[in-house]
Amino acid sequence: MKLLLASLLATTVSGFNPAFIPSHGPSGVATSSSTSTSLNAVYGKPRPVQIIPSVLPADFGKLGADCKKLEDAGCDRIQFDVMDGNFVPNLTFGPDTIKWCRGYTSLPFETQLMVSEKCTDAMLPQFTEVTKGPNGEPGVVIIHVEACTHLHRALSNIRAAGGSPSVALNPHTPAEMIENVLDLVDHVLVMTVNPGFGGQAYIPTMTEKIRKIRKWIVDRDLDVDIEVDGGIKATKETIGACAEAGANCFIAGSGLFAYDDMAQGVKELTQMALEGQGVSVKA
Amino acid sequence: MLASDLSNLASNAKSVIQAGADELHLDVMDGHFVPNITWGAPVIKCLRKSVGEDPYFDCHMMVSKPSEWVKDVAEAGGSRYCFHLEAALKDSGVDFNVAELCKLIRSCGMEVGVALKPGTDVSAVREFVSLVDMVLIMTVEPGFGGQKFMPNMMPKVVHLRDTYPNLNIQVDGGLSPSTIDVAAKAGANSIVAGSAVFKAADKEQVILGLRHTVERLGMGKAEGELTKRVKAKGAEVGVLMAGIMFVAGKYFV
Repeated sequence: MKLLLASLLATTVSGFNPAFIPSHGPSGVATSSSTSTSLNAVYGKPRPVQIIPSVLPADFGKLGADCKKLEDAGCDRIQFDVMDGNFVPNLTFGPDTIKWCRGYTSLPFETQLMVSEKCTDAMLPQFTEVTKGPNGEPGVVIIHVEACTHLHRALSNIRAAGGSPSVALNPHTPAEMIENVLDLVDHVLVMTVNPGFGGQAYIPTMTEKIRKIRKWIVDRDLDVDIEVDGGIKATKETIGACAEAGANCFIAGSGLFAYDDMAQGVKELTQMALEGQGVSVKA
Repeated sequence: MLASDLSNLASNAKSVIQAGADELHLDVMDGHFVPNITWGAPVIKCLRKSVGEDPYFDCHMMVSKPSEWVKDVAEAGGSRYCFHLEAALKDSGVDFNVAELCKLIRSCGMEVGVALKPGTDVSAVREFVSLVDMVLIMTVEPGFGGQKFMPNMMPKVVHLRDTYPNLNIQVDGGLSPSTIDVAAKAGANSIVAGSAVFKAADKEQVILGLRHTVERLGMGKAEGELTKRVKAKGAEVGVLMAGIMFVAGKYFV
């Protein structure tokens, strides 16, 4: 038993395929059944840490090959930042690009729709479809609460279409905006920068928002991940603070691509997140 | 690139340039002007980096706010900025108008193109022809799938060619060896070809074939005068482009 626990923890630190797969959603790096040991630890039982790169800093001329590189580095999932130039002041790519990347990797996908309400309404089924896994497994589809008047309906539609619903909040948006749909989602994304561009600095006032949402999730006994996106690096102030506040999924864009050896980057980010959660890690 | 791998753009772009394409036609769609999202400046930037400085990027901006992206596209390496007249007229207000948009595009170092949707009368573009380098006559409805080449767009091309003999006139939508004759006869000298090129077993032959049709039927060249080489850099007319279409399978049947 002790040997098994040690090997699980070793796998956790290295960031590679875990022995334990959570009951829902994409596979994550396991923290097994460890509980917080330090005073500054996450509220409730820590959820598996997942390091998820965004393709925003990738080479769009060979996105498929870059996706494969991310898979080889041990990442858990890949995030596609869809921007329509209207909701955010940048225009990146659409559903067909994601569709083609599917052929290059078997990693789960996650699509963040930074698009206006018009695009959300019109294109949701398409995005849900292309985000699915290689065998049709649900992919995470993230709608922005600011871009969806009928959020409850839209999130239900994602589920009905075979996707894994998620909702995102811009920095100014209070947590209360998603309080009534927490039961519909698998995942909440707290933006820790203003969406639209990579390479921005983490906004520290977002930490309390994470903490608030985490408390709701734990107290209501919901099975929901909290993801953070923006300025996340292997530092106490960013990934450490977010993990301690309750986030367990971490988008790393430029923060990961900065490493020559991305596998090393995944390791360092994971390590720092686990420390933030207060999970003790044996060497 | 219509039916090709959008996650491997760079190598597909390179192969079609080698096959004789004069320009790369890049369709930028923002989900608002047309009901699809394709790509923006970040992708153009990566493509420019991988193909180098020489290839000509003809950026077809199917976006609702054409004035918004001029600087970004220029910095990303765009060569021509072709905006839709319908969007520019809507986008313009007190502070901005079509003439100023053209000025902005030039000041950023790019050539200017203006595009007309099928439903837009050619008379709408008359006052702007002197400000642009090229007029694009859409021969399908942008953004919708399954549209075939619209031969009833040809009178627009004829009118423009008759009125402005030296204007670059581009056609885009459903162009292939089976529809090129009509377009060439009408006077189009710039042909956007998507799946006709990318799905072909021999891309060079398709491109050369399209080029010859324009030279023969549009320019009245004799057989012996037709471009012999695949790559006809410096040719005055017969600018051919292989389209990088992101509406995979929807545009061209």
